[in-house]
Amino acid sequence: MTDDNTAKDAVVIERNFDAPVDLIWKMWTEPEHFKAWYGPDGATIPVAKMDVRVGGARLVRVDVETPGGPMQMWFIGEYRDVVENQRLAYTESMSDESGNVLSAAEVGMPDGHPTTTEVIVELEDLGGRTKMVMTHAGIPADSPGAAGWTMALNKLATRVAAHSAR
Amino acid sequence: MTDDDRLDETFAALSNATRRAILARLAEGAANVNELAEPFDLTLPAISKHIKVLERAGLVVRSQRAQFRPCALDPTPLEEVSTWAEQYRPVWEARFDRMDDYLKQLRPRRKTGRTR
Repeated sequence: MTDDNTAKDAVVIERNFDAPVDLIWKMWTEPEHFKAWYGPDGATIPVAKMDVRVGGARLVRVDVETPGGPMQMWFIGEYRDVVENQRLAYTESMSDESGNVLSAAEVGMPDGHPTTTEVIVELEDLGGRTKMVMTHAGIPADSPGAAGWTMALNKLATRVAAHSAR
Repeated sequence: MTDDDRLDETFAALSNATRRAILARLAEGAANVNELAEPFDLTLPAISKHIKVLERAGLVVRSQRAQFRPCALDPTPLEEVSTWAEQYRPVWEARFDRMDDYLKQLRPRRKTGRTR
């Protein structure tokens, strides 16, 4: 999971934590714990609603202080994969407070910026310690899901490598 | 064109299923517009329009000389997409540093009662 294949269009980070796997799972799935580490420095997470089951919704509000004053951001998403203590996948899009997805342009990002991204967390029990692999991938709005996007690009990259002489 | 503009073009070009299918076909080898149009229920002008978007994004190059101006894939912009993803890396690294700190704070309260 950590090598070149996924690195093309996604951030892949592997970390080991000195904590049992069920606690790391809670870091991602229980609002009280999630709020404690997720926001950038100086930010607060006043809202973290998590209906942690496949098809369940998540809505997170992040408040940050900017030179121009306080800023409020909402993120809406859906859980795609939930296997307790092993694997969690959810989508994420910037939204308004009711969870209506905003386009990249509406939030001041470049047009081509993917509206929806997917976060995948994979956990491995190392006996009291935990190995975590987090993948954050961009997926275009009309894609059925990150799988389609990632697979399409990976397939392209593989084929391109094979045909690279131009 | 700035890096951001280029990235915009790449993502805009990729955010369409027909255009991704065209790229996947071109990954197998060069093809002309008629060949590219074949699997789709679209007119030739519509396919040409998709190809122009891909050309503008630098994902497709067309030979100027050959009679049928075959299209070929240029993977360079795909490599720049990874740069987009990479900007999230420091954000996540900082989050996980905080998760680590937070876990250390929780430790004394845990039932196992390990000391720091």
